[in-house]
Amino acid sequence: MRNRLRELRAARRWSQADLAGRCGVSRQAINAIETGKYDPSLPLAFTLADVFGMTIEEIFDPGHRS
Amino acid sequence: MAEQAQRDQEGRAARRVVLLDGLPVVVLGGVALALGSSPDQTPGQKAWWIAATVAFALGMAWVLLRAFRRADEYLRKIQLESMAVAFAVVLVALQVAAVLDAAGVIRLHQVTQLIIIGGMGVWHMTADLRTRFNR
Repeated sequence: MRNRLRELRAARRWSQADLAGRCGVSRQAINAIETGKYDPSLPLAFTLADVFGMTIEEIFDPGHRS
Repeated sequence: MAEQAQRDQEGRAARRVVLLDGLPVVVLGGVALALGSSPDQTPGQKAWWIAATVAFALGMAWVLLRAFRRADEYLRKIQLESMAVAFAVVLVALQVAAVLDAAGVIRLHQVTQLIIIGGMGVWHMTADLRTRFNR
């Protein structure tokens, strides 16, 4: 699943550790999500959306929509 | 540069926590292994061996529980996958050891704890390598 996490994080000048702290997860988890190696659970996706003040759909793209 | 230093520091801290938890249990496993190494044990020696083995098993359960409680959803997934690998290694090693024991090459009761300690090592190493290569 594609996502805009890195771009949104960079726009706010947050490090991965900053974002991890705001979401209550490890920095490795943020890195794995950014690089597309791990798809977050729904609760974590909602937390990420909350942190960025956006909806889940604005951050994550399943990449198979027509 | 500062972020890299912070990453290294975090990694070192995480590994230190795992070592602080895991090392005493591995040492206890070694002690249990040594206590059970004699083929002709007195009842007293057997009691010590069983006590050390039970403490080792409980210690292992405690380490697993602590690791799961500390982890977030991603690290928990990594740990579960690493445990699956370690479990497979332990199963195969036990099977081989049982065959070698039947052939009279080794004594299974001595090797069992060594295999379990090895399984813990495989678990930690796999989890560490997977998160290390995913920074």
